[in-house]
Amino acid sequence: MSLPDRIDPRPPRHIYRWDLDKTYLQTEFDTFRQLMRTALEKAEQKVAVPGAAALIRELRSRGDVQLCIISGSPRQMRSVLEQKLRLDGVQWDELVLKDNVRNLLRGRFKALRGQVGYKLPVLLESRASAPVESDEVLFGDDAEADAFIYSLYADLLAGRVSEAVLHQVFRAAEVYSDDGARILRSWKSIATCDPVRRIFVYLDRLTPPGRFSRYGPRVVPIFNYFQAALVLMGDGHLAAPQVIRIAIEMVQTAGYNLLTLSNSFQDLVRRGLPLESVANSLIQALEGPEALIAAIRPVPDIVRAFTKRLAALGSTPAPPPAVAIDYLGLLEDARPHRLKSADRRKD
Amino acid sequence: MGSDFGPAELVRGAADLSLEAPLIHALVVGDRDAIGQALQETRHSGERISVHHTPTFVSMEEKPADALAAKPDSSISVAAQLVAEGEADALVTAGNTGAAILACARRFNLLPGVRRAPLAAVYPTHQRHGEKADPFSLILDVGATVEASADDLVAFAVMGAAYAKVISQNPNPSVALLSNGTEALKGPARVVEAHRRLQGLPGLRFAGNVEGVDIPKGTVDVIVCDGFVGNVCLKMLEGVHETVMELAQYAYKSKLRWRAGLAMLSSGFRRLKEVTDWEQYGGAPVLGFDRVFIKAHGRSRARAIANAGKVAAKAVGADLSRRIMEGLPK
Repeated sequence: MSLPDRIDPRPPRHIYRWDLDKTYLQTEFDTFRQLMRTALEKAEQKVAVPGAAALIRELRSRGDVQLCIISGSPRQMRSVLEQKLRLDGVQWDELVLKDNVRNLLRGRFKALRGQVGYKLPVLLESRASAPVESDEVLFGDDAEADAFIYSLYADLLAGRVSEAVLHQVFRAAEVYSDDGARILRSWKSIATCDPVRRIFVYLDRLTPPGRFSRYGPRVVPIFNYFQAALVLMGDGHLAAPQVIRIAIEMVQTAGYNLLTLSNSFQDLVRRGLPLESVANSLIQALEGPEALIAAIRPVPDIVRAFTKRLAALGSTPAPPPAVAIDYLGLLEDARPHRLKSADRRKD
Repeated sequence: MGSDFGPAELVRGAADLSLEAPLIHALVVGDRDAIGQALQETRHSGERISVHHTPTFVSMEEKPADALAAKPDSSISVAAQLVAEGEADALVTAGNTGAAILACARRFNLLPGVRRAPLAAVYPTHQRHGEKADPFSLILDVGATVEASADDLVAFAVMGAAYAKVISQNPNPSVALLSNGTEALKGPARVVEAHRRLQGLPGLRFAGNVEGVDIPKGTVDVIVCDGFVGNVCLKMLEGVHETVMELAQYAYKSKLRWRAGLAMLSSGFRRLKEVTDWEQYGGAPVLGFDRVFIKAHGRSRARAIANAGKVAAKAVGADLSRRIMEGLPK
């Protein structure tokens, strides 16, 4: 055994948890045909959301991070998904996929589509083995229940959700009893902590961002990963040159331009995210020796586009207020209208 | 901001535009908080919308000149300034028409050879026009200039033809002067003089004079008149439409047999409404400026605003101003 092998790696300070379909990968599975096509796609045919791979690579480059991927894709897709991640230059620490064959064989049909009973225990079990001091940033999308599950996970860890409420969530979300028991067991094994700093919801379906205001300012709906990079820079996870590199990749590979990027920046400022210092740091970095930027477009144009968008808003908008999340209310609102009507008739 | 339905409807239009037309970027000018609130509740692409905050706006009831003087930071003044500075390529508004035209007139330049900028309007007709088989004709001016000279009428004809070529994809639109008879010598002196000049103007398919009866028939693609006459005609067309609708409602309520008859015709009425729906045309252009300016109806809903944005983008993309200048008499 050589000496370097015996040195323990640094414990992760930051844990980034990613969903795959519609968050990292541009996936369509709303119809049976799309589902089949997605299942049969080869790794090189799968397309990542612009900027997602660049963001992960930049986050990883800090060294003291852990990347955990939890996907609802079936385990049979592991090799294809791993190959795709490798093609994109993404290194991961955990990749958890759903055991849908087992669910099918056991007749657990609700578990095939159910997310709470699948993701929540996986998140808690992963957290149980994480260093106490590590913080977390979570990435999901607006197609399923990511904002709900991630927020519930964060509030469970922080002791802001009682066991009674959790049991009511199990009932409302139709969580199987053994999954519920797993959740309770993992939860109780973790000391109370408050590690979740941000929850990004990629707006794959372009859901109105206001729909997520009930989750409070921790949840940030994003139209693209440049927006996530800006917020993460403000939170101290990325440096300005890293954000610029992500933007460059989006420009070069996905048709983004100065307008779309500066509009994305203004969108966040309008929603009350404090990004003035981020803008200043970006300008400093742009005016530094970053030759790649100058090759794409004259730096003054970029600086002007961003400062103009900021100035166009007049004063700084107020940040969104902190809210206590009403999980049961959210679940009730998400229930199909026909079920609500049936309940009302019963009453 | 000052349209009949307020900023929310305008924002929804811009939001629709951001989803339907990926190459168009909407710069929404007005109260930041009101716009932001409406955007939060609307499906849109945040990558293709930006906001420019202005603290005031001109309402429909205000006198244009007084309001613009009292509110230099109104949304229409700032929007016109932003377009003049090249921050945006076109201006679309559903607010106070007079204030919008005045704000643009103060900031945009008239094209060489154009003395007055006419307000054009599209209206449904019996005949179809152009490659897209539009059920609409264009009439101009409908209110920007009360009395137009012969020179103005000639310029209006050229501008209307250029617009029909670009927007209706009508490669050779027919243009006529509105008068009280089809003969060349009918009408006031300025119309007779304009008729004489248009007859000899190369590159323009001049169809002579038409009468009021030809307006709803859609005998020609573009009708030219001065603002006073055009405005009276347009209001009359709107009045006829409203009266027909009221009569149909009266008939529906009066007799069961009539109601049954109307019910049987309902799909036909729906189709008719679809093809003559002004909201699909979005807005009316104010022509003759070096910038594209589309005036949407004050009662525009989101769909009309989005379509007005598409029309504006089409006019910019086809370089409408250059096309107009090419057609003007040298």
